[in-house]
Amino acid sequence: MAKAREIPGLRAETPYAAAAAATVRVRAQELFDHAEGVLDTSDIERVHDMRVASRRLRAALEIYAPCFARKAFKAVLRDVKALADALGARRDPDVQLAHLEGLAGALGEESRPGLDVFAAVLRDDQATGNAVLAQALEAAAAQDLRGRLEALARSAERRAAP
Amino acid sequence: MKARRVKGLDPAAPLAGELQRIVAVRTGELLGFMPAAADPAQVQALHDMRIAAKRLRYVLEIGAGLFGPYAATAMRRTRELQDLLGEIHDCDVTLPRVLALAERCRAEDVATILARAPEGAEDLDPALSVHAPHAAAHRGLQVLATHLQARRELLFGRFLAVYEQLGRDDFRGRLARATADRGSPGAPADARPPG
Repeated sequence: MAKAREIPGLRAETPYAAAAAATVRVRAQELFDHAEGVLDTSDIERVHDMRVASRRLRAALEIYAPCFARKAFKAVLRDVKALADALGARRDPDVQLAHLEGLAGALGEESRPGLDVFAAVLRDDQATGNAVLAQALEAAAAQDLRGRLEALARSAERRAAP
Repeated sequence: MKARRVKGLDPAAPLAGELQRIVAVRTGELLGFMPAAADPAQVQALHDMRIAAKRLRYVLEIGAGLFGPYAATAMRRTRELQDLLGEIHDCDVTLPRVLALAERCRAEDVATILARAPEGAEDLDPALSVHAPHAAAHRGLQVLATHLQARRELLFGRFLAVYEQLGRDDFRGRLARATADRGSPGAPADARPPG
């Protein structure tokens, strides 16, 4: 799993809202840095890294919720959740397929036909999840999620001033 | 599961104090699922506890460097708990799907065998069952279901052991003391020892 990037300049006495702005910027950058090649089902680590980044971003938004402009915050959180859910819809069957492959070796050839039947179901889930993810990525781009996250960070900076 | 609201957070207040209050609420939320989640049949409570562990872990991921050393240890313990609950949740989600698939295969085989039986037959020829479409798959699906159920029970035992260890280690008390510890004023977050 990708390690969370450090948030530069965080100190105990940093205003909560200034920390919010810094954290959201780093976590949003992490998310979009992992977006490349995420629909490639042959490399399941990409979607994993982006999913972890989406969870961290979502968590940061929730932890710093009082620091953001309320209406914009709700809409951004909703869209980040939707993206995280779409990443989960792709990631879950990825993990189950990998786990099943590991089990197939241990459970023996006699079990293989049954495991193959379940693997076919999971591959359907994976294809559906990939389509859901493709739509979510398009929606995030069309609705300028990145720009709105930056606007949210700026709204927090304004609230940091006493 | 909706997160409990932390009242009165002030955007202009120092970060460590606000995170300390969030950690206290999220810790209470996490530990509040026991003893309900100690019942292995309480699937929803276990799932909600996993979400609560995730929320606490991420606050600690942001704040651990600002607090005393035990905060980083608490973050690792919380992640361990979250991972374990996640594995249990995967079993809870997958097992019913495998059982449903096994049942569907069986029902399809029954329908196929009956369709192949001669009209007006007084009894069923066992040879028809041997060549049912899913005959080879039944074993693997049952083995998989059994494996998932046994794994779930083993992981649940580990979860209880990890939770009991948190109690013995005074997780709540030590974390509360660690979040009250500010270390050297002005020290950057990453200058603190990882614990």
